[in-house]
Amino acid sequence: MCKKRLLQNILLISMLITFLQLHAQTQVISGKVLDDSTHQPLPGVTIKVENEQSSTATNEQGKFTIAVPSDGATLQYSSVGYASGEINATTNSPVIIYMKRTTAKLEDVVVVGYGTQNRRAVTGSIATVKYDDFKDRTNSNITQSLAGQLPGVSITQAQGAPGSSPIIKIRGTSSITAGTNPLYVVDGVPLENFNLNYINPQDIASVDILKDASSAAIYGSRGANGVVIVTTKLGKSGQSVVGATIEYGTQEVAQRVNMMDAQQFIHYYVDAHNNAWVALDPTTHSVADPNDVRTSAYKIPEDFINNPQQFGKGTNWQDVMFRTAPLKNAMVSVSGGSEKTQFLVSAGYLDQDAVLDANYYKRLTVRTNLRHKISDHFTAGTNLSLSGIFDRTNGTAGKSDVVSLGLQSDPVFPVYTETGSLGFRDPTSTWYRFIPYSDLIEWHPYSLTREIAQKNKSFNTLATGYLEYNIVNGLKFKTSISANLNNSKYDSYANAGLGYGYSSVPPAQGVTITNYSLNWLSENLLTYDKKFDLHTFNVLLGYTAQHERTEYSSLTSNNFPNDLVPTLNAGTVSSGTSTASEWALLSYLARINYNYANKYFLSAAIRRDGSSRFGLNHQFGYFPSASAGWLVSSEKFMDDVHFISNLKLRASYGVAGNNQIPNYGPISLLTASNYVSGSNLSSGLTVANISNPDLRWEKTNQFDVGVEMGLFKNRIYVTADYYNSITNNLLLNVPVPDITGFSTQLTNIGRVRNRGFEFSFTSKNLVNKFEWTTDFNLSLNRNKVLQLGPGNAPLLFTDYVVQVKTEVGQPVSNFYGYIFDGVYKNQAQIDASPHVEGTTPGEPVVRDVNHDKVIDANDQTTLGNAQANFNAGIVNTFNYKGCEFSFMFQGSFGGEITNQLTRYLGIWNGGRNAYAGVANYWRSESDPGDGIHFKPSINPTAMEQGFSSYWVEDATWVRLKNIRLSYALPQQWLNKLPVKGIRVYVNAENVYLWSKYTNYDPENTTYPATVPSSTSTNALPTGAFYGVDYGSYPVPRVVTFGAKLNF
Amino acid sequence: MKAKNIVQIIIAAVCTLAFSCKKSFLDLSPISNANANNFYKTKADFENAIHAAYATLYVIYDPEEAVSYGEIRSDNATLYAVAGTQADKWAIRDHTETPSNTMVYQYWRDYYKALFNINNVLEKIDVAGLDEAYTNSVKAEMLFLRGLYYYNMVQLWGEVPIVTKVVSAEESYKILRSPVADVYAQIVSDLKFAVDHLPQADAVPAPGRASKGAAETVLGKVYLSMGDKTNAAAVLMDVYNSQQYELLPDYSSLWGPTVKNTKESIFEIQFIGGSASTPYSPYWTAFAPVTNGVITAYGGGINQVTDDLYNEYETGDPRRDASIDTGYTNASGDFVAIKFPKKWEDRGAPTSGTQELSRNNFMVLRYADVLLLLTEATGDPQYMNQVRARAGLALYGTAGYPSATYPTLDAALEHERRVELALEFHRYFDLMRTGRAVAVLTAKGKLVTQDRLLFPIPQYVITQNPAITQNEGY
Repeated sequence: MCKKRLLQNILLISMLITFLQLHAQTQVISGKVLDDSTHQPLPGVTIKVENEQSSTATNEQGKFTIAVPSDGATLQYSSVGYASGEINATTNSPVIIYMKRTTAKLEDVVVVGYGTQNRRAVTGSIATVKYDDFKDRTNSNITQSLAGQLPGVSITQAQGAPGSSPIIKIRGTSSITAGTNPLYVVDGVPLENFNLNYINPQDIASVDILKDASSAAIYGSRGANGVVIVTTKLGKSGQSVVGATIEYGTQEVAQRVNMMDAQQFIHYYVDAHNNAWVALDPTTHSVADPNDVRTSAYKIPEDFINNPQQFGKGTNWQDVMFRTAPLKNAMVSVSGGSEKTQFLVSAGYLDQDAVLDANYYKRLTVRTNLRHKISDHFTAGTNLSLSGIFDRTNGTAGKSDVVSLGLQSDPVFPVYTETGSLGFRDPTSTWYRFIPYSDLIEWHPYSLTREIAQKNKSFNTLATGYLEYNIVNGLKFKTSISANLNNSKYDSYANAGLGYGYSSVPPAQGVTITNYSLNWLSENLLTYDKKFDLHTFNVLLGYTAQHERTEYSSLTSNNFPNDLVPTLNAGTVSSGTSTASEWALLSYLARINYNYANKYFLSAAIRRDGSSRFGLNHQFGYFPSASAGWLVSSEKFMDDVHFISNLKLRASYGVAGNNQIPNYGPISLLTASNYVSGSNLSSGLTVANISNPDLRWEKTNQFDVGVEMGLFKNRIYVTADYYNSITNNLLLNVPVPDITGFSTQLTNIGRVRNRGFEFSFTSKNLVNKFEWTTDFNLSLNRNKVLQLGPGNAPLLFTDYVVQVKTEVGQPVSNFYGYIFDGVYKNQAQIDASPHVEGTTPGEPVVRDVNHDKVIDANDQTTLGNAQANFNAGIVNTFNYKGCEFSFMFQGSFGGEITNQLTRYLGIWNGGRNAYAGVANYWRSESDPGDGIHFKPSINPTAMEQGFSSYWVEDATWVRLKNIRLSYALPQQWLNKLPVKGIRVYVNAENVYLWSKYTNYDPENTTYPATVPSSTSTNALPTGAFYGVDYGSYPVPRVVTFGAKLNF
Repeated sequence: MKAKNIVQIIIAAVCTLAFSCKKSFLDLSPISNANANNFYKTKADFENAIHAAYATLYVIYDPEEAVSYGEIRSDNATLYAVAGTQADKWAIRDHTETPSNTMVYQYWRDYYKALFNINNVLEKIDVAGLDEAYTNSVKAEMLFLRGLYYYNMVQLWGEVPIVTKVVSAEESYKILRSPVADVYAQIVSDLKFAVDHLPQADAVPAPGRASKGAAETVLGKVYLSMGDKTNAAAVLMDVYNSQQYELLPDYSSLWGPTVKNTKESIFEIQFIGGSASTPYSPYWTAFAPVTNGVITAYGGGINQVTDDLYNEYETGDPRRDASIDTGYTNASGDFVAIKFPKKWEDRGAPTSGTQELSRNNFMVLRYADVLLLLTEATGDPQYMNQVRARAGLALYGTAGYPSATYPTLDAALEHERRVELALEFHRYFDLMRTGRAVAVLTAKGKLVTQDRLLFPIPQYVITQNPAITQNEGY
């Protein structure tokens, strides 16, 4: 040990000598850094000479030596978790520094765009989460661990499949048809629509979310949806740490959808047929008519009439498709370094079975972060991350995917027929007797999960290399090259016939899809730090260029002779395609931060972005911002106000853009439309979209004021923000009259406003041996469309019956349809109210919204909106002697959700099974059911099938999101072990949900956030259907046991 | 090296990098799509554009499109439970559709999308500076298609906005519905140009391309719809005398996956089939009974044949069994009785998913149609009798003719057109043309009134441009 230190000292001294030779007028001073309360030495504290380049770090004894000009200097010291400070070093006597643990987070380092700042100096609205806050959470995607903790950041786990990224919306919905995903910046590399599953959360040091436009404006045309900055760890000098994590968990679907059993279904089936048969000709038809007088659609299986008991309760298909699934996670990391070199090397492996049959998710991540100081002038470094994901994921597409189909399958069918096949389409099975009834439905989950072999393989490399050059004191140049390379391949092979478990008996099919994308970035930044008297300046100039190319190809093979060989060569290739697309972005940026006496803060920035996606007339755009802060508590007059330990006011205004439109948005493209001449294909080309050379940036102007206040020695810490954000020049696929030949044209028109309030509150309730902390946050956002296309014509999108309407004066994407006021009990009630012609008792009462005594399209109205009135989260953390316990509640209040599965499970639809609640349907005037569910018929009326309030449900929910219990084993137990520390913990995610929602989870959204396709401009903007659930994957409850070891 | 120098070098390098490559770096052209800005220049470009215009026939004559649904709107066919939003389809069958009917709106969009394709070629050819003969032939083909489509549209909606050029969104707000007479005037003008500039069938550039005879046939039908029998007779006689067409000796030889562009065919939509990447015929999949799983992988259940049509055939008429299938044997060997169209049958076609990649072409116009229209225009039964003779049935006016059932020539024609052209998308327009729709359909139990024969103007069209009027009855 001693030798080593000696060596270090020699090294240091020799360096100092070199330094001395360069700067003759210097002296060396030494010192020691201690914890203010424990008086323990603090290693790894950075010591810097003000206005000089020289810096050093304390060793394990907390000692340091550093060269300073002979006329004395100011030493700046900083360390994570401690308040930074300055001390004058003028004499040769050793300096003793006592550092205070920070409680107010004021001295925390916050990562902002293209740099870092002290929390004290931050003038925008930035939420920061550190490793310690999420280290024990078992989520593959870091953002999952942040849900409910950050006001103004909505993180929705829309699908529960492993590896499904949540939908993130920062401060409301600022776009209607362009993308709404935030920009991800991973170790300084801005990446659009990046999959954060490629980054192991255990490698992450901090996540900083730029919420307001002034913070995000430095990312220019990509900042309008907010920016999520992920910074990975780097070792600290002076300490070598070997860490290991091992976790084991189980996952299960805690809450099930309540479906009809076989007996209920048979009643429903029989009544639906009888009702329709009688309605066909009420004078001559009767319920008692046997099958041979009925036409085929109205026939009822004899088994249902004569012996329904043989089916018992039938099959619960959810028991078939879901299972309790294990999860294993292991990780090793080595980090450390010397004063010159810091590094982190880590490897992690996640092996997760999914709760859905045959599905799994495996991830291997390897990371190397390295930073080396070549000389006083040059520092170089690299961050290299390699990830491989192997998975099979079904069930997230809703509608015709496994989870949805399993619910739709009729309970009368067995899991296996007596021949061992999956379904009644097996001609050798006795179940084949049901074939004539085209409205009996079976989509056996296994027919998709076991009869189709599927595999996804994705590989991602994110690499950055940088060189920093300290030109002169305070002036620094940094250049970096980064690349993100992504390759993925999907293979599937569907066995011939799908085991007779599907609605058809299709021939075998093999599919291969490959994706490739390479994104490279060149970044050149010049920074200048200057301090004189009480003035501090920080100037940034930058130039960046980024380019991405994506390629896609797919091949499909059919006509396989048998199922022996699943690769495409065994069949004949029946179709194939490949496409490629590119974009490029060129940016210039500048920022100046100024503060006076660490009390008054000003910041101004501007970015100029040029994008290949925009029309020639508007290829470049400017994105300016300005902000100011005032640390009131540092003023003299506050010295007497003892209960306020910290008070900061800040205000900001900025313009950020949204460029998420198709790559060739302004260009009129031709698309293939082939014809045939005799026996030959004649290639044809037609115009796919209208050109718009005037296409330009969608710009969000946001004003933000905030206050941060610490009370009673920061025992209570409050942050509140108000923002008003207006997005102009919306990139809108504006509906145009269809007689133009097109339905929409991508145009800059329209305005949307988001106004909101964010509040967070931290209270250290107890601070003695027993610690108790409460963190609470609340956010609300009000969204309003101010202007739309020509004549403010509303935007109406329809997908599988569900209609969403966006109109001026209303929030984006209202659910829009008829209102059902229950069910008509009898003819007299029908006659007494406006009704659709031909309405019979047992059919829904449709509200005459406009009171014109006629029920028609004009009676459609707003049925709700997925946007919540407010969201809140509360975390309580208890600490006692190394034992930590914490639980978190999260809630969303006042939103609505559209249950699109109503189309299948709430209304008779071709013989699909239905919700158990539907069994309370109207049977007769004397048995009117629950007054909500109308009488079933195999020919539902247009009104019954249409979109109505019958589909829309309250989406208010409260969730016990997380419980954690951890215990750090006492040091004395570990003395005999080669271990420095062991911590064991239990973590439970999604523990319990309180909600009235019919399907699994009111957070479920089947439609992903809009991600513009590479070229097509006419695709449905899926983001407009946020809050529509078409049979999503349930979010499982995950309970994990883990241990973290330090060597 | 002095620090200052290095700074200067770096700044200079950054600036050069920044400004030298700016233009080309951002100027990216689409890779996987052609750019419309530099197209429509050469004859090869226009051949591509023409093919795309013909490809609109695939949409307009799709089994789920308006003309096909004419069969269920009439008494020929019906629709049982099928996939998709059925209520809207049933409403079309029952003449109870509302302005918010999604199918009707889809039809509207499809027609105007097709017209854009045609108008775009017409506009571009005029300024391309190619030789006059070629320019006129391209225009004639496009105007033939435009005339055909507007004829369909005036049958479907009555008054429609007439769009004869590429219009911007702003311009489109000023184009309102034109009186039916104006629509017909436009159709006649388009088709006359086509008649004057199209070659005869034996001289068309490729099978399936429009010919003079095709344009004359449509024009003849248009004149009849306008009540102008004189002009109708003249253009139809021109087709009759052109020596280009004849009836095939055997009705059943008109049908089959490999029967293509016969002497009887006047205008025929071309398919290849066998592969998902070349145009394949959608009719067999669509018309097969739903979820049969035996004769097709799934079946679409469109235009399922009524007993009324089946019974319309005279005893011994071979056309019945050539047109209508009466059921199929399922996998367990049981016969499932259900009547469905047989003309486009392609059993054993390769499949992609649940779609048969069938090969059958689709005849929009054929010579038997011309002969029957000629009798309608001239009142002379000899042309109709050629059709009956081919079927081996007693001729109109002879002893064996069932004149008790069909006492007049009009009645005889109505019957003959129904059975000869059964399920080929003619019946509904025939009943509209002869003014017989309400009488015939109400007699068959359909609750239909005169103002419910036309489709409504889609609600969304009116919402977008409130100056557009609605049809009577909606």
